Amino acid sequence: MFYPLLQASGWFSNWALFIGRFHPVLVHLPIGFLLIAALLETGRRTGKISVSESTIAFILFWSAIGATLACVAGYLLSLAGGYEEELLSDHKWQGIGVAAFAWVAWLVKSDRFGEKIPFGPAFYLPALGLATILTMTAGHDGGSLTHGEGYLTQYTPEPFRSIAGMEPIKETVTEIKPIANVQQAVLYKDIVQPILELRCVQCHNESKQKGDLRLDQLALILKGGKGGPGLIPGKSAESDLIKRCLLPESDDDHMPPKGKPQLSIEQIALLSWWIEQGAPADKKVSELKVSEQVKPALASLGPGGAKEIKSVESPVLSLKVEPADEKDIDALKKAGLLVSKLSEAQNLIEVSAVNAADFGDEQITILEPLAEQIAWLKLGGTKITDASLKTIAKLKNLNKLHLEHTGITDAGITNVKSLPYLEYINLVDTKITDKGLKDVAVVKGLKSVYVWKSAVTDSGVSQIRKQHPGLMIVNGLNEEEVAKFLKAGDTIQTVTAEKIQ
Amino acid sequence: MEKLLKELQHAELQRQTRRHFLQSCGFGLGALGLGSLLDSCGPSTKAGIPGDESLKARIPHFAPKAKRVIYIHMAGAPSQLELFDYKPQLAKYHGQDCPAEFLEGKKFAFIQGVPKMLGPQSKFKQYGQSGAWMSDYVPYLQTVADEITFMKAMHTDQFNHAPAQLLMHTGSARLGRPSLGAWATYGLGSENQNLPGFIVLASGGQPDAGKSVYGSGFLPSVYQGVQCRTGGDPVLYVSDPHGMNRDMRKQTINAINEINKQTYEEVQDPEILTRISQYEMAFRMQMSVPEVMDVSKEPQFILDMYGVKPGEGTFAMNCLLARKLVENDVRFVQLFDWGWDGHGTSKDHNVEGGLKQKCRESDQPIAALIQDLKMRGLLEETLVIWGAEFGRTPMQENRNGLVMPFMGRDHHLDAFTMWMAGGGMKKGFSHGETDELGYYGVKDRVHVHDLQATILHLMGFDHEKFTYPFQGRNFRLTDTEGKVVKQVIA
Repeated sequence: MFYPLLQASGWFSNWALFIGRFHPVLVHLPIGFLLIAALLETGRRTGKISVSESTIAFILFWSAIGATLACVAGYLLSLAGGYEEELLSDHKWQGIGVAAFAWVAWLVKSDRFGEKIPFGPAFYLPALGLATILTMTAGHDGGSLTHGEGYLTQYTPEPFRSIAGMEPIKETVTEIKPIANVQQAVLYKDIVQPILELRCVQCHNESKQKGDLRLDQLALILKGGKGGPGLIPGKSAESDLIKRCLLPESDDDHMPPKGKPQLSIEQIALLSWWIEQGAPADKKVSELKVSEQVKPALASLGPGGAKEIKSVESPVLSLKVEPADEKDIDALKKAGLLVSKLSEAQNLIEVSAVNAADFGDEQITILEPLAEQIAWLKLGGTKITDASLKTIAKLKNLNKLHLEHTGITDAGITNVKSLPYLEYINLVDTKITDKGLKDVAVVKGLKSVYVWKSAVTDSGVSQIRKQHPGLMIVNGLNEEEVAKFLKAGDTIQTVTAEKIQ
Repeated sequence: MEKLLKELQHAELQRQTRRHFLQSCGFGLGALGLGSLLDSCGPSTKAGIPGDESLKARIPHFAPKAKRVIYIHMAGAPSQLELFDYKPQLAKYHGQDCPAEFLEGKKFAFIQGVPKMLGPQSKFKQYGQSGAWMSDYVPYLQTVADEITFMKAMHTDQFNHAPAQLLMHTGSARLGRPSLGAWATYGLGSENQNLPGFIVLASGGQPDAGKSVYGSGFLPSVYQGVQCRTGGDPVLYVSDPHGMNRDMRKQTINAINEINKQTYEEVQDPEILTRISQYEMAFRMQMSVPEVMDVSKEPQFILDMYGVKPGEGTFAMNCLLARKLVENDVRFVQLFDWGWDGHGTSKDHNVEGGLKQKCRESDQPIAALIQDLKMRGLLEETLVIWGAEFGRTPMQENRNGLVMPFMGRDHHLDAFTMWMAGGGMKKGFSHGETDELGYYGVKDRVHVHDLQATILHLMGFDHEKFTYPFQGRNFRLTDTEGKVVKQVIA
């Protein structure tokens, strides 16, 4: 009922929360006073002590006041939300009951009013009794609201546990178990969920939902709570789950709250990565694209996580081949080609036609004697056609192939399928179509292929990308992407990771 | 063997000083006369002229990952705290006095007394799959965040522009050493025989350290950077005058070079060899340079991407030209842009509007350059470097102890940010961290020499073995320091 008022008036909501938080303090007054009253009454009736009725009435008066104030504060506190509805309702009515019966008990006992109430004394003991019993039950529910149900009984030792039919003590999660095989782990279930259980779920679960948020089930994380959805799949930077962890610890909105154990940088990186991948529920680590940022975090999880942490050297560079014959190299130089060894330690060579734009099919055969040595071949902007590709396919150690700005087509490019070490191929501004690209993509070690300004289609590219997830296909920017790029400058009004409302 | 003899000859020539000559005078002028008579009977020195040989590609120590480099240097030093190094804690200290421990024993260029801390003036967010932190001053770079590796804990020893630029480009804060481009061309040669191997394009003004930042130092001067103009003719007087055709030009140059060769035989000055090869190169450049530098044939969407119009001489145009040069296998393209010195002294030089304006002029073309290189399949083999000579302080500058008209920061050598992309670098990565105020690097610090060692490594050179003898000892770019930063290499 007060929600709209709460939303509308910041002033009111602050006062409400401030007073509301005194409920745990105030609530001890009726507890103490009522139990004392009950104790004194018992002592008086059994003749053990001598205490006047007006004394007890005095105590009952202050119990009733205390209980009433506790109810008011309790109500204000409940406006903050985050408590399980049913339990809250039970607790509330029991608390109101305590106050009501305390008032009744006092009324009938008091000097001023007691005589005026018909059958007053008959109400006294029941009222006192009920007030006392309700204090205990309401109090227990209050504890459950704060600490979760089962708080009292969680550590019941044996043999009482078995007698009561309770399950053996469930270990609290104090640390995340190492994963046997990180690559085969299901990202949400085996990596993300344990982090959330360790650091978040104590306050965001079935019985307790701070901020109306539950983090114990994926659907509920997406549903979110008072601040909106817990995360936005694909956008970790805009997801509250991450934003709050990255705030300075002293910030009020920072999660986990100050004083509680915090997430480590690796854990935040893992959560970010999971969200960036679309927050999938059942994808394994091996099925997802691993970014540089998350590699160290994955490595720390267990064996198999540290895949590719070291610098990757092309296997072709460790090949040992015979040095090329000087005569063969001279033939290439005569044709205007640049020939140079890849490095001092290797006999593999690079051949470049940068100064020989007229190089054509008639001359391609001069490359054949160097079939073992040629690793990098640059024939961009030359006059070669599909006919040359048959010879090029014989260069079995070919690692990088530049064919941009030439007249080759699908018919020629299919010949490169047989090259085992090919990792880079540049087909910019050629007549390659989707079919040619498909042929090229089957080369096992191929890492990157460039097809801008060719006859390849966007849909062809996305299909082939799906079939070869490890291959980088760069198709240039289409009109839409160029327009989007040009608009980037309009987004100057970006937002900091500031106060989350 | 021939090469060794040439080098011996070259070294001999350099050692022949006047003192040496006068000493050997003891043998008499007669010996000299006899020598000149006999000279024409001796082996022809024509074969000994290195000429174009010196520009041929050399062999690196191991297979290079980067075959070409585009180095974008923002002279003056942009503020890393407003661009890439997000320091939310600094915002909380804004306006407070600088803690004493940051001031004790430090020398500042202009700060005096106790300055106040200056919080970041821009808004930061994370971008791309890699979650790179960038500010709203660089909206276009945000689109290519996943191609870049940031090094946020760079540090240097110099706090003034000229010495710091010299250190960054030549490895020493003193004049006289070859620049990175000269070393690269000396080591790897130039592939396109029609273009110089090392080209320099400047905008906004000349770098504070002058032409020495792209000079050849003690390396043969044929390796120096060739500065081309942007806007108008890229090279003045590159085209032939009316009435002179190509053949005639070739004959002219041949005649000039004949005379040069004869002079060389007489005085043995190695600079003549450079001159001979430069004449040959100039002849070839007459054809190649106008073609390469002509952007009017570029498709309109490319011009839009960079934000240029043909004929303009802006930084954006330089970026487009850089791509065209690299597409034509120029080994090293150096871009300089001046005007980033955000002290807070004027409307143009501060970390708010002034920095924003400079970013507006440079952010789009740099991002376009990266996209463009990637589209053409060139980014894998081209190393793009962005940076300055140092960074800027987390404290607000208070020149002469006074309040400045604009918000500015002073020169800062203990922490700044540079980034690199392509050519063997990791993608979407950040190396190094600074403390909460952005004053010191606290993790993975990279010194200028470490950066130079890494660049040489990517080009296939072991920086400790890549040396040149001069004045009695071997010199190298990194002099006596520097370690390759393996963590940023893919």
